[in-house]
Formats: sequence, C-alpha cells, structure tokens
Amino acid sequence: MLSDNAKAEIRALQARYPMPRSALGPALYVAQREAGWLPADVLAEVAALFGLDATEVGEFASFYHMYNTHREPGQYHIEICDNVPCMLGGAVKLGDLLRERLGIEFGQTTPDGKFSLGRVECLGACATAPMFMCTEKFTGRIRYFEELHTPEKLDEALALIASGHGFDTCERWPLGPFRHGGRPDTNFLLARVDKPDSHRIETYIADGGYETARRVITGAGTTPPRSPQQVIDEVKAAVVRGRGGAGFPAGQKWSFLPAGKYPRYLVVNADESEPGTFKDRMIMEYDPHQLIEGIILTSYAIEAERAFIYVRGEYYFAAQRLEGAIAEAEAKGFLGDNIFGSGKKLKVIVHRGAGAYECGEETALLTSLEGYRGHPRLKPPFPAVEGLYGKPTIVNNVETISNVPHILRHGADWYKQWGTPQSTGFRLFCLSGQVKRPGLYELPHGTTLRELIYEYGGGPTDDSGGLKAVIPGGLSVQFITADQLDIPLDYENLAKAGSALGSAGVIVIGADQSMIEIARRTVAFYREESCGKCTPCREGVPWLEAILERIERGEGRVEDIALMLYLADMIGGKSFCPFGYAAIWGLQSNLAKFRGEFDAAIAAARERPVIPIRPIYRPDAGAASGVTEPSLPLEEKYNAPTHRR
Amino acid sequence: MPDQVTLTIDDVKVTVPAGTLVVDAAKAAGIDIPVFCSHPKLDPLGACRMCLVEFVGSRGSRLDTACTVRVAEGMAVRTNTEQVKAVREANLGFILINHPLDCPICDKGGECPLQDQTMAYGPGVSQFVEPKRHKNKRYPISDLILLDQERCILCWRCIRYLEEWEDKPQLGLFERGGETMIDTFPGQPVDAKTSGSIIDICPVGALTNRVARFRYRPWELKKTPSVCNHCPVGCNLRLDERVHALRRIVARENMAVNDEWICDKGRFVHQFVDHPERLKKPLVRDAQRGTLREATWDEALDRVVEKLGALVEANGPNTVGGIASPRVSNEAAYLFQKFFRALVGTNNVDFAGGSAVRAWPTGLSAITDIARSDLIVLVGFDPSEAAPLLAVHIKRVVLRKGAKLLIIHPRRIELAKYPGAYLPVLPGNEAALLGELAAAVQASKGVRGQEARGKQAARNPQSPGPGPQYPDVVALLAAAKSPLFIYGPDVARGERGRATVAALLNLATALGQGDKLAYIGAGANEQGVRDMGLLPDTLPGYAPVSDAAVRERLGKLWGLQPPAEAGQTCARMIGGGVKGLFVMGDNLAALPAVAEALRKLDFLVVQDLFLTETAQLADVVLPACSFAEADGTYTNLERRVQRGPQGIRAVGESKADWAILTALAEKWLAAEGRGDRSGVAPAAAPELPDWKRKKRKAKTGPAAKPWNYPTAQSVLEEIGKAVPFYATMRWEALGEGGLQWSARDLRVGVRDSGLSNTQSPTSNPRPGEFLLVSSPLFWDASLFMQYAADQVRQLIPAPFVALNPADLATAKLAEGSQMTLTSPHGSVILTLKADASVQPGTVWIPATLPGLPAETLGGGRGEPISVVVR
Repeated sequence: MLSDNAKAEIRALQARYPMPRSALGPALYVAQREAGWLPADVLAEVAALFGLDATEVGEFASFYHMYNTHREPGQYHIEICDNVPCMLGGAVKLGDLLRERLGIEFGQTTPDGKFSLGRVECLGACATAPMFMCTEKFTGRIRYFEELHTPEKLDEALALIASGHGFDTCERWPLGPFRHGGRPDTNFLLARVDKPDSHRIETYIADGGYETARRVITGAGTTPPRSPQQVIDEVKAAVVRGRGGAGFPAGQKWSFLPAGKYPRYLVVNADESEPGTFKDRMIMEYDPHQLIEGIILTSYAIEAERAFIYVRGEYYFAAQRLEGAIAEAEAKGFLGDNIFGSGKKLKVIVHRGAGAYECGEETALLTSLEGYRGHPRLKPPFPAVEGLYGKPTIVNNVETISNVPHILRHGADWYKQWGTPQSTGFRLFCLSGQVKRPGLYELPHGTTLRELIYEYGGGPTDDSGGLKAVIPGGLSVQFITADQLDIPLDYENLAKAGSALGSAGVIVIGADQSMIEIARRTVAFYREESCGKCTPCREGVPWLEAILERIERGEGRVEDIALMLYLADMIGGKSFCPFGYAAIWGLQSNLAKFRGEFDAAIAAARERPVIPIRPIYRPDAGAASGVTEPSLPLEEKYNAPTHRR
Repeated sequence: MPDQVTLTIDDVKVTVPAGTLVVDAAKAAGIDIPVFCSHPKLDPLGACRMCLVEFVGSRGSRLDTACTVRVAEGMAVRTNTEQVKAVREANLGFILINHPLDCPICDKGGECPLQDQTMAYGPGVSQFVEPKRHKNKRYPISDLILLDQERCILCWRCIRYLEEWEDKPQLGLFERGGETMIDTFPGQPVDAKTSGSIIDICPVGALTNRVARFRYRPWELKKTPSVCNHCPVGCNLRLDERVHALRRIVARENMAVNDEWICDKGRFVHQFVDHPERLKKPLVRDAQRGTLREATWDEALDRVVEKLGALVEANGPNTVGGIASPRVSNEAAYLFQKFFRALVGTNNVDFAGGSAVRAWPTGLSAITDIARSDLIVLVGFDPSEAAPLLAVHIKRVVLRKGAKLLIIHPRRIELAKYPGAYLPVLPGNEAALLGELAAAVQASKGVRGQEARGKQAARNPQSPGPGPQYPDVVALLAAAKSPLFIYGPDVARGERGRATVAALLNLATALGQGDKLAYIGAGANEQGVRDMGLLPDTLPGYAPVSDAAVRERLGKLWGLQPPAEAGQTCARMIGGGVKGLFVMGDNLAALPAVAEALRKLDFLVVQDLFLTETAQLADVVLPACSFAEADGTYTNLERRVQRGPQGIRAVGESKADWAILTALAEKWLAAEGRGDRSGVAPAAAPELPDWKRKKRKAKTGPAAKPWNYPTAQSVLEEIGKAVPFYATMRWEALGEGGLQWSARDLRVGVRDSGLSNTQSPTSNPRPGEFLLVSSPLFWDASLFMQYAADQVRQLIPAPFVALNPADLATAKLAEGSQMTLTSPHGSVILTLKADASVQPGTVWIPATLPGLPAETLGGGRGEPISVVVR
C-alpha cells in the first residue's frame, strides 16, 4: 500500500503536466521508492491513481530498465556499465572484482540484502571508466562512482556506500567535474565549470549570465527587444547544427512551426545515451543556468510557455542540479509568469526518463514524456507540427540549446568564425576509450581527429598496442582507421570518409583490442535497447548478436560474414526509425575494414558446430534438407572482402 | 485538397479518395501488398515492415511503408522491384526465425496470412541456425482465448482492437526488444465483451478460440453466412461446419450492422446447436405411466391436434393460446400466429416481453445513425450488457467524434464513464424524471415553455416541478443537433412503461427530435416477431386487431379472418386464462411460480431444443431445430431483415419451427376436413363423442386455405403479402447483407404523446428496504448459456445481489455473506457483493441469473419492487 504522502506526491506530479498521464514515469519512481520495487499490486495501485488500466501501467513499467518489475534489488543496487567505452576502460575487470568483493553474480543480491549487482548500458561516464552507478533503494537516490581504476579505489567506494554516507551528496565520486579542456579561444560552454559553485545562479550572473536573455526579451537602454522571428533568424544564420546526432540545423527546425498554432512546447533532449557521449551531463551538472538561459531564449523564439527537460533517468544528479537551478531562476523572476518583467510566461519542468536508449529518438522521447512506452511515432507529422500532446513541439539537444545564448550574445557572424561553413562554431568532443587523457574537449568544428586524440587526449594508452580504429560520433557511426586520422571533425568531411560526426563521442580503440568483441558488444547494446516495435530491428539485431557470439566462441562459419552483411543490409533503412541504421553501421564498417580479424577467427574455428535442421519455409525451395548446406544466394553479393555499404 | 487523387502503382493508374493509404489504393488497383500489422479497421502503425514499397521521386526512390503513407497526386509507387522483393523475403525471414513453425498443430494453419505470405513472398530456406527464443505457449488470457506468445509476431492488432474499439486496454506489450510479448496484467484477464474479435484479426495462430480449438482444419469447413441469434443487433456471422457439427462461429463483415466484429456470446456460445442433450425425437406423455416417452412425429402432432381441438370445441377458441420466443425466425413467428388466428380462431398469441412492453415499432432508425449522432440518450438500457456491439459503436462515436452520452439508469452502467451526464434514477421514477427534463427543456425555450410548464405542473402535481435542477443536462440536450433516444424493455413494461415512453417521446418532441426515438428489445428477433404480429392486439404489419379492412385482407389470404377482439396477453394466458397452451421456444417454467401455473393447464405443447423445465411439464414435446439448422429470416433492431440459411444438418429428427407448424396445420386442416381432429380415420373410431358430431354439422361457411409451404422461402413469400412492408423481402433479394424496411412505410401514430404521467413517483425505500434493479448481465444463465461449452458455462456467475458499498457499511453487511432477500413476490438467498455502480437504496440482481432470483422477487414486471435484506 502506498502511503498517503506518496499518493499526495503523485497527485502533485500529475498537476505539473498538461496531461496527468505524463507523470506516470515520475510516479513510478515514487512508488518504487516506497515499495522497494514494483510488483503487480503496486503497479495496480499506481494505475488506480491515474485512472488507467493496470495493463497500461504494467507495459509502461516493463519497458524501462530502471523500474524493477521482476525482483526487489538490494538496499544498494550497483549497476556497472560495460558498454564499449567502459569495456575499453576496464569494465570487465571491474565487474570481476565487484563480483568477488560482494560474493554475488550479476542479477543477485547479497544474503543480507544490502547489495545487489547488475549490468547496465552506457551511463554517460565514458571518460571516467570504469565506473558503476549505485541506487539507494528507499530514497531512489542515484550516485555515480567513477574512475575505479584500482581495487583500492573500488574498496574505498564500497566502504563509503556501506558506511551509509554514500549518498550525503549525489555528485559524482570523486567530487568535481571530470577531465575537460580544449582551446582557450573556444572556451564557452565549459567556461565556468571549474568555478566554485559553478551551478549557482550567482556564479552565472557574475559572468554576465541571463543578460542576453533579458536584452533580447525586454530590450536594454535604447536597444529595443528582439522579436521571436529575429531570434529564429539569428540562430538560423548561425547554422547551429543539432548536437544530438542527426545534425539538423536548429534554426531551420524552428521555422517549421505552423503559424498560429498554440500552445507550443519546447522539449530539451537530455536523454544523452549514445555510448561515448557525456557532454550534456557536464553542462547540466556544473553549469545548468547556461542551459536554462538557452531554454528561455529558445522558448521565446518559438513562443512556447512550457519547456520540458527530458533527462535520462540515470542522470539523477543532473536532474537535481536542474531542479535547483530552475528554482533559483524562478526566484529571480527569470522563469515563471512574468519573466524579466516582460509579461511573458515560461515554466520549465524536469522530467526524468527511466532507462531506454530509444527515448533519445525525438518521437520516442515525446511518446515517453506523454506516459507511454518509448516507441517511436510515425513521421510525418514531424514534432514541429504535431509533437507533444499533438501540439507543435521543438525538440533540441542540451548542447544545441546551450549554444543559443552565446549566439545571441555575440551574433551569428561571431559564431561562424569557427568551424566550416556547414559545421559552424565550436563543439564538445567526448573523448573516451584507450587514450591517455579521456575527457571532454571544447574545440572548433574541423579540428582533426589526430589533434584531438594526440594533442588533447595524449594519444593511445601504453597498453593499447597503438591506435587501430576510432569511432568518431558515438557508438552508432562507422569506424575510422588509423590512416584516416587527419580527417577534420566536421559533418561534411566525416560523411565523405563514410562515417558521421553524430554526437561527437570519439571512442579510441587500440590495436590489441579484438574487433569481434567490439562488434559483439556494440550489437548487444542495440539488442538490449531495441524498443521491439518493428520486425527487422527486434528480430534482426538479436540474430546478429547470436552470430557474433558464436564466432567469438570459436564456432563461426564461413557463410556467417555474408549472412551478417545481408542482415545488416535488411535492417538498416528498413526499420521504423533510425535505430536500425545505428545498430548496423558499426558492424558494416567493422566487417569492411577489419574483415581479416573475422576471417581469422572463423578459420581458427573448432570443428563445425552441429547445426539443427534448418527449416524449409517453402516446399518449392531449392535445397532439399538441412543435411548439407545449400549455397546461400547471399554469398556472391555479400562476400566481397572490400564490401562497402 | 482535391477529393480524388490519382497515383501510379506499378504502372497502373488508380484514382482514389484523398487520404487513402497507399496499401488500400493498391488493393483498388488489384495489386497485393502484403501486410501484417496493417488492418483496414485499425489505425496505421507501420511496425511489421511487411508493406515496404518503393516511392519513386525526383531524387530517386525511397522505401516506405504503404500502410502509413497516404496517397498524393502524381505519386509513383513500385511494389515489384528487386529491392522490394528482397526486403519482403528478409522481413519474412526475420518473422520466421523465432516463430515455432508448428503449423501442423496450429488452428490457423490453412487460413494463416503468415503461411500465405511466406508462400507468396518468403524465403525458401531459413538462414537461421541459432536456438529459437522461447516464450509462453498455451497461455490463457481469458476463459475464452489462448495466447501463444511464440507464434505471436507482435503486430499489435489485438492491442489496437481493444484500445481503439473496446476502449479496454487489457492487452499490452510487456518488456522490450526481442523479449517483447503481448500479455495481460497479472490477474486481469481480458474481459471485453467482444474480445473474440482479436482471434479473427490475428494474422497468425497466436490467439486461438478455446471453445473451437482443435475441432477443425480450416480447409475442411463448410462455411455458411448467417445471423446471430443472441440479441437484437443481428450481427452477421459465419457458421463453420465439419461432419455435421458446428465447429466454430466467426464474424462476417456487414458495415451497416456489426462492422466486422461480433460479441463473445455470438462467437463462443454455440454448443447448444449440437449439444448431446438436444431433443432428437418428439415426446408424448404416456397415458398410463404419466411420463414422457418417445413418439413419432405423426403421433405427437396427432395428439396436439386432438387435444387442442378438443379444448377448442369444448370451450371455444379463446381457451387455447400460444406463447413463442422472440428469438424464433420471422417464418416461425408468422406461422405461429397464423395457426392461432386462422385455424384456431383466437388472438391469444404473445411472447414474454411482448404486449407487456411498450415497444416503439420502428426500432432504431439505423445502427449507422449511432456514428452520426452527437448525443445518445440511453434510458433504462445498458448496451454493454444487453447488446455489446451497440456499445462498441457507441464507444467509437464517443472516442472518435466526441459524441456525448446522457444515461438515465438505476445503475451507473459501464458507459456512464464517458463525457455527458449520468442521471441515477430509482426504478419506476423514469417517467417523472423525463417529465421534469422535458419541462426544463421547455422552460429553457422561453415563454412558450412557460405555458407548457404550467400545463405540466397542473397535470402532475406530484412532480417536484421543473426547475434549474439539471442545467447541464438541459444544455447537453439543447446543444445536440442529432441526438438518439434509446430505451430498453426494463423501463417500458406495464403502465409505468407506457408513461415512461410517453415522457421520453415528450422530451424528444420538445427538442424537435421526435423521430429519433428508438426501442431496443431483448429477444434476437423481437423486431421480427412484432412485425409478424405475434401480439394479442396486433395483426401482422402492426394493424390493430380491430382494423376490419386488414382483417378482411388477411381473411382473403388465409381463407379465414382473424377475430376482431384482442387476445389474451402472455401473463393472462399463464395466469389461468387458457386451458391449452402451445409454447414455442421459451422456457417459461424456469420460474417456479410459472411452472405451478402451467401445471394447472389441461394441455401443454412445448416446441424447443431441449427438455427444459417447461418441456418437462408438457403433454407433447416437439423437437425443434436451432437457428443454425434451419433456413429463416430475422429482423434486427434497425428493421433489417437478414437471412439465416441452414448451416448444418438438423440434429436427430428435429425440424425447423416453421416446418413443424406447417405439418401441424396440415393435420389440423385434414382433421377439420374430415370433421375429425383425432388424426385417425373415422372408421377406426366408431364412437364419436358428442361434441364432434355437433361440430361436424356446424362445419359450413369459409374454410382455411391449405398450408402449402415446402420451404421457409415460401413462407417469406406469404409474409410479403400479409405484411405490406415485407413485400420486397424476397430470400434472394435479401442477399448477404439483408434489407431494411423503411420506417416511413409504417406511419407510427404518436398516440401517446400527450399521455400524462399518472404514476406516482417511487419514494425512497424505507431503511432496511431496497428497490430491486434487475437490468441484464452479459454472461447470464439463459438457456443457450446453460448448454454452452464448459469454458463458457463457467462464466455464468453464482447468483448474487450487489449493493452499494455505502449501503453495505450502513447495514453492517459483509461482502460474500449469504443473505435472504424477501419481496411481496417471493424470497431468495443470495451472496452479497459490493458494487459502486449500484445506487444507494437499490439492490442489483441481474436478470436471468441461475435460479432466476430477480424474477422470483418479482423483477421484470414493470413495477417497483421493494426488497428486504436479512
């Protein structure tokens, strides 16, 4: 039974949204905090509070990783990320160590109920790998424990948690912003993060913060206020390309809004989940007011009176910092019913997701924000026309929005002095993997990979055997090889090289790293995170994983490579949303560029595994039985070693 | 935007209405685009990716789903390129890798879209050598439906049906990615009343019918289009027969009636058709032993002719009568009343809920009018329990077009959750409430209303007087441009019922919508049997028996005229008004009080499917066929006459109702011709009793014409002559969709419009007493339910009484306890249930529960019944 307090809290959450159902996710956090987990009776109770059928709540809860619908976790639930960047940073070793220290396997709870252990996909802490996140069951608080390079560090972290003081703060452990840097002349987005109390409004104001928004909205002295259209034009002129991954110019997106249709919503995509990406986290945790000023300006431009920040559920601390910052800004009158005394209204609501990569896709994000499973929706209509609650909605990434105050402060021309004509301005590059100084680097577009990796990242680690490959734009894009390091990091040049800038998550892979393992772990991530809506992605991605696992086990078959290329071809572009491409681009380029490693593994395979009888779907199919392998029609088309798709 | 759009699909130019989906446009062009998730009755989803086709544009071609893209002028689509073929093949490969391929034991095998598409577009051989994923097989999602999660291809059709049509999201997607599965919430089975529709639309064998499971292979079935015999909606269905047994029932599309859905009663309750306990031979009461024994048809019918004839000749024709069921075919109903009117010479024909109910003879204007209305007023009628397909239509117009509902019912029925208003009313107070509403509507119209209000107040001093009591409701009514006023039998019985219907008509007339009044009965063919004149005061075609012109017309058709004076009602016949009674298809004696009355009869004939309580009392039992075994037509609540052809061979020696009546009439006429109804040649019976000799001499004057009906169709032909508005209803003309007779052909006299409300309002019951509400429940213990398959029979609830939780608390009664309920009519012991939908001060005992508790207490008589709970 939920307590009256919890029920009141849920009702208050419902009141925050235009449609109460949006509060379903946050309400389940409340219920989970109360009950420890979410068994059927608790879900039914929440359903009753929403006037929903219990099925609707059950299917919602089971979609998201962070709702425990199957078993109750320990008092401290430790989840380790072993996605590719963390894997490269030693997550597997950390996992072994954790299992040894706690004496339990993944999915188990210690006999005293104190600790439970689980695996989780990328947590946006790639530069500080290996790491884990810990959830305190009855408070719902989450804290990241990072840079656990040595057993001593791990013991220290575990001791802190066991002491009961592990959650005195939810700031990352060790405290303070993780490694970052960049060129001094492009130090804008990260300019304040090292200042004491960088997240406080005073710090931001002292740095000239909110002045741009005030000037734009109310005018200053003789300067008249700028109209929303002027703001859109300025941002359009600056060609700020979306920092979430697709790179669509923000100003252009804003101008798609249908005239005269209100209300409009701004939704900030803070569901940073692309493995290798951890830039938005830094902004939200250590300079949230920069984002809020961006939200104020963007909302003004698109004439929205409500903005939502959809923060991934694991970013508990970022959400806390945002809530604090919003309260500060409201107290100053920068948000609320009369912003800067202009009579304009703006309410910003922080909405926590609950662990689903797919919710980074903008339509899935909106579906999730409305209180449904995070399945993508049909486009068109695009969100700008029919988005949240069917109203015109602009969805932009945190970093994109954070660029807006700088552009409006200094002008589009100032912004365009950096980068290239199609990739203007500066960028937060997330450097992770096998490099000496992984971290967040603010550099102009067009900086070469070599400069980023060697000058800022200090080059590949000593135990890596040298650099073999780079994933330049988050796990979903194609590989760049060691001979391509002079490629400038911008949209056009990476596209020319057969890859993409994506979310600027640069993952460095050393020569000693098995590319089969990379491929398998990459596909495993997409298998885990597939929403399950469409057939190719739901069925094809697990199939790819099964093949790769088999090859890794030493049971590969010669025809597997052609089969994988065929499957990848039939997933990419055939799926409902771009997830299909994301799932297979890496594999396709891996097979194209590192085919040798796969061939070698297959050649070294043990005796061929006994293959179960392969069903014949159609009586008129050429081959008679599964006794001998019929030659695959795919063989010819997909077997060219230099195959590039 | 132009209304019509022309596009090219594979070089075929096709013009379709704007907004059409490409997949439907292709269908119009005769091009097949394979689909799984797409369904013409469900919103586009685009999940299965089966319908990916190439859209050729200026910048090359792109793949997109034909089921989500709407046509545009000049659009060019290619469905036959190498890429499209490759993608289809791959997609089927994806679907099949984790599909169990257990087609040989799958009910869907043979009519499975997945099989068909694999044959047409699929890969020849699987490329998959990994272990298959395992999920739940044989997983019950309700008492009626099994889910096989391994066969499921996650097209969401079932989920979307329940969401979009039933508004009951009881199936959902759980987990995600490859682990995604369709499931119910733990402990909450699917209970939507049209849940079986998801079996029909499932494109694989994931959802199977637990009643029909493993009883057929689709290719062996003989399929007969038919009409449902459970409720007056008259849903179109298909009877699937194999080796003379009815294997299953599926829905048949009729956009004017049931779209393509049927309710779970229509689908799952059919085992009565070939139930082992079906009567297979006629039975007659053995004179010596007093028990029923098997007999030949000749013996049984001769016995009827002899005994009924004897009663007629001894005591006059008015001492015999007939009561039929409102579910029999038009042909049976017509011949039944003709037998009594033309041969026996009495108007003593009726059915339970017939003359006792103030029915509006034209039913509902049209079922499709529901989708066109913006306000539906439901008075004492609960579509969710009584006619679920209407509830589906109503929910659709509410959800999709924002129609409002005004519900006046003693119980907060399921539909009361939708926008509009719910006015709780104590049983019997409907007329008063409607009167107040009508007055309030008048008053809101200004001065003219003032006068009307004055009159109304003068007429009905007890009425609290119109006032601003229901401003929202009056606004709701006034704002409606195309309202529908629907009432059911529960509020139309007896004198109170007359007043209620009059008040409702007043209200509708006050709003200028007098023609929007609709009555929806209880029996499957209630409209038809009324059309056929199965009423003591009404001839076929609704002419009163006093109408000499119609009597003369019928006299010419029949040879003999029906009597001019009204016959006895059902209640009077049972209550001792007749000495001989013919009961066709109704189990009146299920109620012990009625059984007691029937025992007093001199002679009772029962024609039915089973040896019911009534049949057990009979002197002669005639085994009849079910609707599935006999040709017949049925008229639904919107006056649509529909064919129900014979779908399976008749069980045993049973015969169609109309055929039995024809045989009986032939014997009756033969006996009449001989002046002898004993059925035996005069020579064999030398000593004729006195009454026969006298009668024989009197036998002059007009004689009945012979009954020459070789087929049901020939009966229908005569109906066309007897009932003017059935003139065009020829068997062939009815086709598979039926024909509606026009309400304009029947000028309904608005005779009662000025009827004042003479009924005193029901007062609130005294403490400890409750007013009985006996509105229907979907899964009840009606005869067909009792002879349904086990899975269905277990849905019959144990008899219960439901009270408002507040009443339970006040009276300190515990849920689940056994209580004695007493009314002036009787006393029953029932299990107590708390139910917030029940109004304080009332008890809800649904009609037709096992043992008929509500009826025992006097429910269903049109009078408020006060019940004491102890």
